[in-house]
Amino acid sequence: MARRRKPLVQKGRDDDVRIIAGFTLGSILTVLMLLIVMIAPPATIGPSEGELAPDFSADAYNGLNWENFQLSDTFDYEWEEGEEGEWILVQFIDTDCPFCWSEGETMSDLYSQWSGNVEFITITVELSITNHDSDRAEVQAFRDKTSYGTEESDGDGCNSGRNNCINRPGTAHNWNYVEGSSGIMKDWEVTGTPFLAILQPDGYVAWNQYENNGEDIESAMQRLLGDSE
Amino acid sequence: MNETLTDPVLIIFILGLAISSYFMLVNNEKKTSMLLISSLSFAMVGITSSAYTYIIHNKMVVHGSTAFCSSEGIVQCGSVIGDPQWNNLFGVPWGIFGILSFSILIFLSLCLYLDRYAKWSENYLNYAWWAGIAGLPFVALLVIIELTQVEDAPHICPFCTIAHISLIGYVGSIYFLKNRRNIGKWSENEG
Repeated sequence: MARRRKPLVQKGRDDDVRIIAGFTLGSILTVLMLLIVMIAPPATIGPSEGELAPDFSADAYNGLNWENFQLSDTFDYEWEEGEEGEWILVQFIDTDCPFCWSEGETMSDLYSQWSGNVEFITITVELSITNHDSDRAEVQAFRDKTSYGTEESDGDGCNSGRNNCINRPGTAHNWNYVEGSSGIMKDWEVTGTPFLAILQPDGYVAWNQYENNGEDIESAMQRLLGDSE
Repeated sequence: MNETLTDPVLIIFILGLAISSYFMLVNNEKKTSMLLISSLSFAMVGITSSAYTYIIHNKMVVHGSTAFCSSEGIVQCGSVIGDPQWNNLFGVPWGIFGILSFSILIFLSLCLYLDRYAKWSENYLNYAWWAGIAGLPFVALLVIIELTQVEDAPHICPFCTIAHISLIGYVGSIYFLKNRRNIGKWSENEG
């Protein structure tokens, strides 16, 4: 009687090749990471002094219309310390925040003094507080100092509806007002408004309000930029 | 001719895709091995192109531009990789996601290549299939972003496209492997 043969079943290897695969993958990743670090190490991005300012792209109101604005387009990557260049003042505001309302005058004064060698950028955000809803019309009125009244029929005013935007302290602001978002606020670690930061012409943060409690913006501008032109 | 398309690095990546495709489509007595090599090869092209897009991203962040890729024309990566609004998922650049995703695919294919008869091989083949499929919606999303959302769209980022095609090629290889397994041609001597 013929013996029945067991069907031939291919058997796996005795050693666990998954360990070998893991080590091989680890080697591949190590080589890739070394190449990345050698060719183009990642920059330290953040709002702290010495870090590269977080970039953003959003619509901005320039006094005529809303156009796309990218922060990094204002950077001068060739700039080196000691050279002349256009510094950047970044301000975060909520058009309904009382401190932002009064800071309007400070910003106008700073602009009249430093507009020759500083690019001013205001980022408007909406804090999660009652009566802090704002729209583009309110932002435009805040920037341009145009009528945006306290009644529902003529807008709902600035400063949480307390004032007509035309009465904002200071002059009209002749710089870009960027439509901010919670994402931009998060990247910039902004917890309240107003918030100010000064960037070097190459985009690195030179002064952050949160890190300089004892120094006001005017003193910081004077210290960093010297005499205005 | 757009200078991006004559970039030597891009040509190397295209050659990588061509070789991977050859392994996927060639018909010989070692078809299963060829398909496993093809999946590995696609995943390797994918991981290196993802790393390259991350290098371009880092260069653009620090220097504003890079000689590695043009910022003008339709076929370019400056407007895609350099767009801070779109070149990230929860703040992490897509290049990093590509590296991590292709790492998983490489691991699975490498395990299968080293021991296709292991007890876990069928599960790993299924994991590779589902992991590859899971990446396809992201490819679709990124193509839509390139074509409609970035500044001055449409743009086509060639190095991103290499990574996208690598994933599609990987899924194709795994599909053929699953077919071979299902019809009992997993062993070379059965094929």
